[in-house]
Amino acid sequence: MLIELEKTTKIYNQGKPNEVTALHEVSLAVAPQTMVCLQGASGSGKSTLLAIIGCVFPPTSGRASIAGKQLSRMPDRFLTIHRRETIGFIFQQFNVLPRLSVLDNITLPLLPLGVSPQERRKRARKLMHQLAISHRENFPAGQISGGEMQRVAIARALINTQPIILADEPTAHLDTRLSMEFMKIMSDLKADGKTIIIASHDPLVSEHPAIDRIIQIKDGRIDVP
Amino acid sequence: MLPKGFEKQLNILDFSLSSLWRRKLKNISIMLVFALVIFLLGSFQMLTGALTQSADAVLRNTPEITIQKMSAGRQEAIPLSYSEKLHSIYGIRAIIPRVWGYYFDESSLANFTIMAMDTNSMPNGNKLDLTLSYGHFPKRTEPGTTVLGRSVQEILGLGTRRIFSLFRPDLSLKSFEVVGLFSDQTDLLTNDLIVMNLDDARDLFAMEPTMATDLCIYVANPTEIETIAKKIAGLLPDTRVLTKSQIQKTYQVVFSWRSGFASICLLAALIAFVILAWDKASGLSPEEKREIGILKILGWETADILAVRFWESTLVSALAFIIGCTAAYMHVAFFDATLLKPVMVGWSVIHPPFKLLPSVKLADLLLIFSFSVLPYLGATVIPAWHCSTVPPDSVIR
Repeated sequence: MLIELEKTTKIYNQGKPNEVTALHEVSLAVAPQTMVCLQGASGSGKSTLLAIIGCVFPPTSGRASIAGKQLSRMPDRFLTIHRRETIGFIFQQFNVLPRLSVLDNITLPLLPLGVSPQERRKRARKLMHQLAISHRENFPAGQISGGEMQRVAIARALINTQPIILADEPTAHLDTRLSMEFMKIMSDLKADGKTIIIASHDPLVSEHPAIDRIIQIKDGRIDVP
Repeated sequence: MLPKGFEKQLNILDFSLSSLWRRKLKNISIMLVFALVIFLLGSFQMLTGALTQSADAVLRNTPEITIQKMSAGRQEAIPLSYSEKLHSIYGIRAIIPRVWGYYFDESSLANFTIMAMDTNSMPNGNKLDLTLSYGHFPKRTEPGTTVLGRSVQEILGLGTRRIFSLFRPDLSLKSFEVVGLFSDQTDLLTNDLIVMNLDDARDLFAMEPTMATDLCIYVANPTEIETIAKKIAGLLPDTRVLTKSQIQKTYQVVFSWRSGFASICLLAALIAFVILAWDKASGLSPEEKREIGILKILGWETADILAVRFWESTLVSALAFIIGCTAAYMHVAFFDATLLKPVMVGWSVIHPPFKLLPSVKLADLLLIFSFSVLPYLGATVIPAWHCSTVPPDSVIR
């Protein structure tokens, strides 16, 4: 399995008066080239689950194996390195740097890897071409449309050829047409071999034929209907 | 093909430059304020250096010991017969009487310093000509000849003329001929100076031929100056005995004290700036926090974000340092340190203007660098470490 969680628990502020258990012994396995939709109310633990799968922090207890590496006792630095090699993130707010150009935004994950400017441009242009945003290459990212911004975020998530794509409410700020377009791109990526996990309430996502599995989360636990 | 580590640093430097450019208004403002502080510090440092260098250049030729007669706590003319009492001291090479005083020029409201001594009798007296831009010092056999400081020549409006007159105390006129002009390297001490023959100076000040203003002593062995000075003080109890090192120290103390005082004031300004920089660096704007969060979730390590901050601060402070130091040099060299000279040379003295030759020493530049760039780097990079620990999940939550 590409993603394997076993009795994974995450407790914030452990031992302090404001201690919160966000995930309770969650077990989950996701095979490669699968598209999963995560659903749950606000505060249910969706974002925490995404963060653990995304190697943002290790679980407090239990086992978490992402792309063959155990996260449980991994130091922060190695988590970061594993994250940049394995995970591509697409956020609800797109999280582009508005004053940087589209090209510079897309190549951001490559800078600390020591990839040369020529190689960065080559990879970014290929993705911009695939996602039909080549004409925006030198535009400041803050001055393009929401749909284009979403594609910039997708291109950035793919620039380092990461095998796993995590998307947090990616269609929340998109209209129906753009949401459909987004799901089309995700389907194509799945076909290319990517594993995709999308946290979303949008029926356009959860009911999309490319979705292989829907996981409901409630009060930090996977809710089996 | 560059090594990955080097390529990474180049990428981070490139990102830092673009980051500075993205916030150009803020960064240019910080850089200009910083450059201003460095400019003031640098100007003081260079001005002090220029003043002490000018003083040193002239004091090199001062007598090793100067004897002045004191009466009721103030200086008065010394009889030439005092020199006879010193013949018993072994080690004295020459005793040269000197006449000097001040001449107030009513038309220009400037004070000139009149100085007279027999330079032919002085050891190394011929070397004094090196302090002149042209001509020679007045000889005993050339009555009525003078050497002028540059401002004196200017104030008297001599132009190409060689003859000028000064008033005796009884308001009768005495004529002089210019036979030399001091070089601008000795401006600080010679700018207001008129050097003439002993007899002419006595005539101008209406002084008895058996008197002088003070006696200059030259010794055979410089290591014995202090011992000889003590012996003279014992033999002539009504005199003040000054050694060359004491005079040099007085000049240094005057300039160092003034520059030290001014530097303390400027350091206070620098500290205020550094505190402000610290405050700015430790309190991130929501936009900056978000940017760090995005970079971290995209796989940037804490060290990478610190490196960006380090390069940003280094570029701002290095540019401010270069601009500040260059402006300071231009201020001292081309604008005669207009803004700061009154602090260093005093406001109350009626003093003809003098030209400054700025001194730029590596040690001074390092000192300014240590007191400006290093604290700024510390004040911006250390809090940046705290900021770069922004949890990456802050952008997902």
